[in-house]
Amino acid sequence: MYIYDYIDQTLVNERVTQFKDQVERRINGTLPEEEFRPLRLQNGLYHQRHAYMLRVAIPYGLLSSDQLRTLAHIADKYDRGYGHFTTRQNIQFNWIKLEESPDILADLAKVQMHAIQTSGNCIRNITSDAFAGVAADEYVDPRPVCELLRQWSTLHPEFAFLPRKFKFAVCGAKEDRTILLCHDVGISLKKNENDELVADIYAGGGMGRTPILGSLIKENLPWNVLPSYLTALLRVYNRFGRRDNIYKARIKILVKALGPEEFARQVEGEWETIKDGDDNFQQSEWDRVANHFTKPAYKSAKSIGTQDLIDSAPANEQAAFARWLERNVKAHQVAGYASVIFSLKPHGSVAPGDATTEQMLAIADLADRYSFGELRVTHEQNLVLADVEQENLLELWHQAKAQNVVLPNIGLLTDIIACPGGDFCSLANAKSLPIAKAIQERFDDLDYLHDLGEISLNISGCINSCGHHHVGNIGVLGVDKDGEEWYQITLGGEQGNHAAIGKVIGPSFGAEQIPDVMADIIDTFVKYRTADEPFIETYRRLGATPFKEAAYLNRSKESSTGATI
Amino acid sequence: MSASPSNKISSIQASSVLLYPKGGKPSIITNEWLIWNDSDNKKTFQEIEHEQKVLVPFQWWLSQGQVDARDPSSAVAKRIQDKTIGIWFTADEDILKHSDVIEAGKSAWALVAADFPIFRDGRSFSTAALLRERFHWTGKIRAIGDVLIDQLILGARSGFDSFALRPDQNLEVALKQFDLFTVTTQNSWRDRRSQLNTSQAA
Repeated sequence: MYIYDYIDQTLVNERVTQFKDQVERRINGTLPEEEFRPLRLQNGLYHQRHAYMLRVAIPYGLLSSDQLRTLAHIADKYDRGYGHFTTRQNIQFNWIKLEESPDILADLAKVQMHAIQTSGNCIRNITSDAFAGVAADEYVDPRPVCELLRQWSTLHPEFAFLPRKFKFAVCGAKEDRTILLCHDVGISLKKNENDELVADIYAGGGMGRTPILGSLIKENLPWNVLPSYLTALLRVYNRFGRRDNIYKARIKILVKALGPEEFARQVEGEWETIKDGDDNFQQSEWDRVANHFTKPAYKSAKSIGTQDLIDSAPANEQAAFARWLERNVKAHQVAGYASVIFSLKPHGSVAPGDATTEQMLAIADLADRYSFGELRVTHEQNLVLADVEQENLLELWHQAKAQNVVLPNIGLLTDIIACPGGDFCSLANAKSLPIAKAIQERFDDLDYLHDLGEISLNISGCINSCGHHHVGNIGVLGVDKDGEEWYQITLGGEQGNHAAIGKVIGPSFGAEQIPDVMADIIDTFVKYRTADEPFIETYRRLGATPFKEAAYLNRSKESSTGATI
Repeated sequence: MSASPSNKISSIQASSVLLYPKGGKPSIITNEWLIWNDSDNKKTFQEIEHEQKVLVPFQWWLSQGQVDARDPSSAVAKRIQDKTIGIWFTADEDILKHSDVIEAGKSAWALVAADFPIFRDGRSFSTAALLRERFHWTGKIRAIGDVLIDQLILGARSGFDSFALRPDQNLEVALKQFDLFTVTTQNSWRDRRSQLNTSQAA
């Protein structure tokens, strides 16, 4: 993985010094809270319901075992012994003291980490495919471009006070695992007919109050001109994005208002004047960065068939191991290797994406032992050991069991994506975590879950959509009505190559109704499903009506008080 | 805090400004420039005649100033000759629509300024960048309005080299900002990214 050079290290060190001074001025009263707020946000520091929350960047989801150990120590030393992995490849600590925040940033800088631009109206932490560099369906490894863009966007002076936040995603595989079309800018990498690295640029996607899928605005852009093209794009947005209404300030509103063609034309006009400048990446920069993303020292090993793997387990463990192989182990580019997903979604016991200090330390050791000391964080809030020898899978499974991270529910109904919601977040209208817990407890039967197959269930505590409810096959959105917490259900959302925004089925439900409503929706699916049809396909075939009818049958009185938002 | 540029600018005039020339050192000097705002209806252009140096709104220049300038006996023409007139852009000004006026302004304006109606409005960073990049503006560009200590580095790198800070800002603290970062990872008006300077990367 990428190793900081003198420049990167100096920059994060100097950023810590700058923030320390800003915090001192805040504490001594010379810097008012209103003016301090964007400064702390651009260093990842939020003020939440109970305390400050620090959001640390895990650029494009890549983490070394030593970095994970540092996160574990931060959780232990400055927090309450756990951290929360988010849907944007960050980790959040919920119980932070303002005066200690510069010390945490200094600790992070020692392991080449930071919290720069994890919040604020600027270019946020760049996200990518958690299986970058190892996925069997990859066209190009997106990580060098991600890292080059991380450096380019860090402390960019012109784009630090955009109309609103700005999120990049980068993917380079056949299957999109980044929700590319729900980003302000999605960069889809591929090789052209001359084997040159080029990018298709999608702009104006986003979730939130007005979910929109991004539009293709540029094709076959050579990788090296990304800085000038993105400068042009961001400059158009910075100058003309709306600043009069926070809910209409994202780039998606500008792209929609102008139309994608006109937006693309304006970007093109701006780019024309700067496309040949030395903003563009040079080959030497590519070489320096890409050199860090070479393949690890894989052993030459033979591919092991699934049945042989299962047979290697003791007879009484074979069924459970087989299930884990099926759900939590993914195909690898290299024969004899696999990628393993650790589920941070145990049923009903902790919040989705949470990991304790003890778990993080143990998982860091497993990464050292089985996966070249590296890990990935997925936007589904799980952890990945990307380079595990198939021969070691059984041993790894045994050892990871002790950390309660081997539940074979990846991609299943209980692999719930959820934001921290009203338990922590001051923006939330409603709690997300108790809803996730109640659903996980209701659907605790693994056999049943496996029979149901792939279903994504995403929960957001407010319309900001951190829980990505718009792209869940089933989405749950917390809404506030007269001070009470209600939940709106959407169906038909999807991430990936067939990305779609889910549709609201009707009036919202009370928290206590949600597990029953879920059961009715799932029962309807089971009733109409053909063979092994996945939920989303049944939904597409039938439309919302049967699900809707089931959800509101005998429930009309209870839910009639809830208005559709 | 008021978000209105006209209120802020008409009521507050900085007594000192921070200069930070490209390649030079930052310093504090006495402000000589009055920011005139015709839209507040307090004073006409004639009524500020006694002022030594004036920044006029760009929109006023478009409608009146450039017309007056053609008359050699006008106050505007005299100020051009004395280098005592400049213009200021509001944050929402689309300067690319006026490239010929700005080209002509190179020989008329002794100073240009761009307004920050509120510190978190970053549009004028792009205005400064475009003035440098597109128009090759080599004269001073001053940041005016809600200009705070913690926006100085951003402004200085985008294209500003003169800052009329909000009067409550501590100028001693302001002067120290420019030493905070010794490296940069993207090009800006002031310097190229450190990665291209290979001796430093060693």
